[in-house]
Amino acid sequence: MAKSGLLKTFTEPLGKNNPVFVQILGICSTLAVTNKLQNTMVMVLGVTFATALSSWTVSLLRKRIPSRIRMMVETMIIAAYVILVDIILKAYYPEMWKQLGPYVGLIITNCIVMGRVEAFALTNKPLPSLVDGLASGLGYAYVLLIIAAVRELMGSGSLWGYRILGPWWTNWAIMVMPPGGFFILAIAIWVIRETVGKEVSHA
Amino acid sequence: MPSQVTAFAVFFASIFTGNILLTNYLGMCSFLAVSKEMKTSLGLGAAVTFVLTVTTPLNWLVYQYLLIPFNLEYLRFIVFIIVIAAFVQLTEMTLERYSEPLYQSLGIFLPLITVNCAILGASLFMVIREYTFMTSLLFGLGSGIGWLLAIVAMSGIRAKLRTAKIPPALEGPGISLIIAGFMAMAFMGFSGMIAVS
Amino acid sequence: MSEFYKERIYPLLFMFLITVVCIVLTAGAHILTFDRAKANELSFTRRAILDAAGLSYENTTLGIEEVYLASVTEEEGYYTAIVDGKTRYIIPLIGPGLWGTIEIMAGLEEDLTTFSGVAIVSQTETPGLGGRIEEPWFTAQFAGKRGPFTLVEEGTSSRTHEVDGITGASRTSEYFKNLTDRAASEARRIIRGV
Repeated sequence: MAKSGLLKTFTEPLGKNNPVFVQILGICSTLAVTNKLQNTMVMVLGVTFATALSSWTVSLLRKRIPSRIRMMVETMIIAAYVILVDIILKAYYPEMWKQLGPYVGLIITNCIVMGRVEAFALTNKPLPSLVDGLASGLGYAYVLLIIAAVRELMGSGSLWGYRILGPWWTNWAIMVMPPGGFFILAIAIWVIRETVGKEVSHA
Repeated sequence: MPSQVTAFAVFFASIFTGNILLTNYLGMCSFLAVSKEMKTSLGLGAAVTFVLTVTTPLNWLVYQYLLIPFNLEYLRFIVFIIVIAAFVQLTEMTLERYSEPLYQSLGIFLPLITVNCAILGASLFMVIREYTFMTSLLFGLGSGIGWLLAIVAMSGIRAKLRTAKIPPALEGPGISLIIAGFMAMAFMGFSGMIAVS
Repeated sequence: MSEFYKERIYPLLFMFLITVVCIVLTAGAHILTFDRAKANELSFTRRAILDAAGLSYENTTLGIEEVYLASVTEEEGYYTAIVDGKTRYIIPLIGPGLWGTIEIMAGLEEDLTTFSGVAIVSQTETPGLGGRIEEPWFTAQFAGKRGPFTLVEEGTSSRTHEVDGITGASRTSEYFKNLTDRAASEARRIIRGV
C-alpha cells in the first residue's frame, strides 16, 4: 500500500497532474533559456534539485514552523538551496553559469518550487514530499526539454550544440528569439492536451 | 564604466524592445492568470510598476552599501527577496490603514507580487549589468510600465476572444501564449527607435 | 506567558535559527569554492586572449594556462602573443551594449589594422537576441578582416570590411561594431603612443 502510494506520488506529476501543461506553473525562469538544449538541461536540473530538497526540508520541519511566518521560512529554505546551485555552477561549470546569468537566482520565484512546498510538503511526510518534489521537477523538465529541442533544432539546426541538419537547412531565426518560446510552448500545450491530457484539461 | 550605458536608452528599451515579460518571460504566472479582465490587469500592472520602481533602486542601495563592503554578494538572492517581501508587507499595511480606496484597488494585488519573478528579476539584472543608481531607478520604472502595457493589451485582446471559436485544448493558457508571441514580435518592431550614437 | 512565547518569541526564534543555518551553510559552500571560482574567472580572461590571438588550445583550465604561459606576454594595458613567428597584439576593450557593458579582447596583426580575432569576456544582452554575439560564427567573422566595419544583413557579408549583423538585435550588433571599430586607434594609442 505504502509502496503504491509513493509510486502514485511519483507518476502523477509526470502525467495527469503535470505542472507545466496542466497547471501552467513555473515557466518564467526557464523559458528564457530554452533556445539551447544544454542551458535548459542545467536549469531544469537546478529546479528539480531545489524543488525536491526544499519540499523535503519543509516537510521535516512542518510541525515546528509557526504558521504566521510560514512563507518567510519557506522562502528562506528555497533561497538557500538556490544559492547552493548558484555556487556549485559558478565553481564547477563557470561557462554555464555565465550563460544562465540571473536566471539561476530566479528559480526562487519559480512557482513550482513554492507551489509544491505549499500544496504537498506542508501536510505530508518527508519521503513522499521528496518524491513529489522530484517528480514535479522531472515533469517540468521533460516538457521544457522538448521545447528546447524543437527551438534549437529549428532555430540553429543543431542539438546539444552539434549541427544535425545539413547546409540545406535555413535557420528559423524567430525560433531562438523570444516569440519562438511562446509559440512552441503554446503548441506543446495544445498537442499534449489534445492527446494524453484530454481528460484533465477541464479540471 | 557602468555609466557608459545611457539611462535613457535603458528606460525605453525596458518598456519596448526588451520588455521584461515579452523577452525574458518574467512574471508569466500572474500574467496568464490575471489578464482575463481589464480592470484587474490595470490594478496588478500598477502595483507591479510601483513595487518595481521602489525595490530596484532600494536593492541597489542594499547591494552597494551592505553586501559589497562585507563581501556578501553571494547572499544577494536571499537579501533581495527579503527586501521585496518586507517592502510589499509595509506598503500593504500602510495602504490598509490610511487609504481604503487605494487599498481596494491596489492593495489586494500586493500579496501576489512577492512571488512575481519580474520583481526579483529586475533586481538581479540590475546587479549583473552593473547599473548606476539612476539607471536602476529608470530600469525599474521602465520594466514596470512595460509589464503594465503588456498585461493591459493582453486583457484587451482576451476580451475580444471571449466569443471566438478556439480549439478546446488551446483555450485559456494556450491561446494566451500564442497572443503573447505575436505581441513579442510586435514589440520587437520598436527596435531602432533610438539611434545608437 | 506560554501564550506570549508561542505567539511572539517562538516565531522570532525559529526564523532567526533558520536564517543562521541557511547563512552558515551557504557561506561554507561559498568559502569552499572561492579559490576555484577565482581561478575560473582568470581562465576566462586568458581564454578570450587566446581566442583573439587565434591560438588553439585544449579547452580546460590546465590547457588554457599552458598555452597562455607559453605564448602570451602581458604588457602595460595590452597583451602580445607570438603566433607562427609573428607578433599579434591583443587589446582589451570595454563599451556600452544595449543593456550593460560589453567587454571584449580584440586581436590585431602587426599592422595594427587587420583583425586576428575577437573574443567576448563578458556581456549581458538578452538571450536569443543580443546574447547571440557570443555565438562562435559571429565573433569568428572578424578574423582576417579590417575595420571600420559595415554591418550587413545576417548571412550576406562578402567584402573584407563587412560583417553580418544579427537578425532581431540590430542595436546590440551596432554597439559591438562600434566597439571593434575603436580597436585599431586604441591599439595605436596604447602601443605606439600616437
